[in-house]
Amino acid sequence: MNGLKTSVLAIGAALGFASFGTEAAAQDCTTRIGAVLPTSVDWGKPIAATAQYAVDIANETGGVAGCQIEMVLRDTQVDPKVGVDAAKALVDLDGVQLLLGAVSSGVSMPILTSVTVPAGVMQMSCCSSSTAFTALSEDGKTNGLFYRTFATSGVQAAVGAMVAQEKGYESVAVFYKNDDWGQDIGGLVARDLEALGINVTAQIAINDAQASYRAEVTEALQTQPQAIYMALYPDEGTQVVREWISLGGTQNMIAANALKSEEFKENVGAQFLGSFIGTDTASPRTESADAFVAAYTERFDGPPSGPGLANSYDATMIALMAMHAAGEGATGADIAAKIGAVTDPNGTPVTADAAGFAQAKEVLDGGETVSYQGATGNVQFDANGDVSAPAVMWTFGESGIDEMKYISLTEVNDFMASMK
Amino acid sequence: MIGIISYLVFFATVASILSIAVLGLNLQWGNTGLFNGGVVAFFGAGAYGTLILGSAPQDGLLGGFGLPYLLALFGGMVIAGIVAWIVGLLTLRLRHDYLAIATFGVAVAFENLVRNAAIFGGAQGIRGFERPLRDVFGSGLAYNALFFVFVLILLIATYLFLERLIASPFGRLLRAIREDETAAQSLGKSPSRVRLTAFIAGSVIMGLAGGLYATFYAFISPQDVLPILTFQIWAMLIVGGAGNNKGAVMGTFLIWAAWTASGWALSRFAPLDVQLYTGSIQFVLIGFVIVGMLMWRPQGLFPEKLVVSQSAKTGR
Repeated sequence: MNGLKTSVLAIGAALGFASFGTEAAAQDCTTRIGAVLPTSVDWGKPIAATAQYAVDIANETGGVAGCQIEMVLRDTQVDPKVGVDAAKALVDLDGVQLLLGAVSSGVSMPILTSVTVPAGVMQMSCCSSSTAFTALSEDGKTNGLFYRTFATSGVQAAVGAMVAQEKGYESVAVFYKNDDWGQDIGGLVARDLEALGINVTAQIAINDAQASYRAEVTEALQTQPQAIYMALYPDEGTQVVREWISLGGTQNMIAANALKSEEFKENVGAQFLGSFIGTDTASPRTESADAFVAAYTERFDGPPSGPGLANSYDATMIALMAMHAAGEGATGADIAAKIGAVTDPNGTPVTADAAGFAQAKEVLDGGETVSYQGATGNVQFDANGDVSAPAVMWTFGESGIDEMKYISLTEVNDFMASMK
Repeated sequence: MIGIISYLVFFATVASILSIAVLGLNLQWGNTGLFNGGVVAFFGAGAYGTLILGSAPQDGLLGGFGLPYLLALFGGMVIAGIVAWIVGLLTLRLRHDYLAIATFGVAVAFENLVRNAAIFGGAQGIRGFERPLRDVFGSGLAYNALFFVFVLILLIATYLFLERLIASPFGRLLRAIREDETAAQSLGKSPSRVRLTAFIAGSVIMGLAGGLYATFYAFISPQDVLPILTFQIWAMLIVGGAGNNKGAVMGTFLIWAAWTASGWALSRFAPLDVQLYTGSIQFVLIGFVIVGMLMWRPQGLFPEKLVVSQSAKTGR
């Protein structure tokens, strides 16, 4: 279908949707939404495919506000210039009022400040974790147009501190990956540990792709912590742990979700990971989350195992439901204003599949609100467009990754509030 | 229609900003033969300098001096110049590939400095910059058009300045040093001082581009100063034609247009199943353009005009 289109038709469609749509034409109209995602990187492709999957589901139920949805996907190349240009082209040339993306905070941020906020377009990110968005929103500079379905690093940091408390560690050294994610989570976990009265002996940045981390590891070792916390990716994590253990460091280890990898376990050796506890934000224990996993597995011949997939799915679904609630010809601000109606905890619960989407449309058409039960749970945004999430603690077991403990959303929220 | 105009203004602004940086590199490489492999360091110094000097105070960040915008932009250029002066003193005795490697190292060091120093915003970068005159012109097309005019004036000013500079005796001296340093020295010139001057002047121009870039996005982070930017700027100069200022500007517009238009066209016309691979296809296409250019027209689209002497020249 895409191949047949001429540019004349395309421009006509874009103009048509903007203002001249009529009831009679509603059946065959097309509404464009934009997506700027790093499709030139391995892990970016499935995120984009998942967003497209959610769009397909919406179209299956007859589309949004009477129109079929076409997602125009642009690659960011993880380059801020390229991502911003793509976003600007989507907003200006394709007339999108809803933009999904980006993944890296360093790309999402300039898109937000120089494209979507000035143009009044709603931006929904699946995967940007930086706390800078919260701060920008608190400064009143997002105009309520920014939402994200990726829990801020706060949740994992809090649960990491919770592990240390439960295990009774009195001193912890923190290793963090030296990027925005790592700096964020490293700083937060240190703050949370201190809040719980646990001594943070060192906070050490780990740069990518170094041949050896002996200097960093030695520095931490000198402070003699009872445990270490790691916000690292598998490559650096493997090397840091190897050097840590070979120099006689403790095997009491806590780690963020990035180390949840079989490769890491095999490369380090399971015998050294006996007291290793990982944390992760979790899918909630609801039917809708299981249904998502089942539906995804059927569609893509494998479970959703990459980063950000459930988040990308929910981001797209919620945004499309809000778009439906806002009605035909809605602007970005209209759509953003309806997010609350889709994620109202007192609304009618709807599942994250085609049946749920159809039900949501019906309820929203009646002027009522729904509570979207998504792949990442019963999603609720706070005033800054941030979400919280349930969490798990996990360990490396004999045959894979074993869940140790599930911490519900309420428990996470209570625990985080108790540290304030 | 408004959308197309709005996008074109946006595109032209980014391309003009990059053109200024390419003009800076052209002074260094095209005219003086200095292989600067660390363009992003000077671009970044201007960008960070402008935001630090011009933004409102923020917790834990250096700066927040809230200077008037033009002063902040000028300050960013001065900072880029100071960085270039220090780097130049240390590295300009190096030639060709050695200079390239040393300056590349400086750029990587710069990126690591801003990524690690919390006072520069760390990996999160510096946000919350209030673009100048925004409350007067709003934030829509009118503002973008105004900013484009501002950038365009600076681009033209830079272009005219460089055209005059290279037509002057100093410009001849630069080319003399590029072609044969010993010969220039034998005529009583001081190549090391002239090389340093050209290096600083080019870097200040790059700093101006960086300052405008950060203003336009109201944000700067270490992700903006990755080595890829240096390569993009080099590709623009090589395609346009090193040693020719017109070529530098044309090359920038051409490469940046190819970069963005290919992404747009693929997203629009490629069949649905290859949509996911458009990013990779785009890299291949851009690679082809650059390789093809180097194979069939290595002197660039607008080759340098060689002038034997000032009096033999028949108008520009």
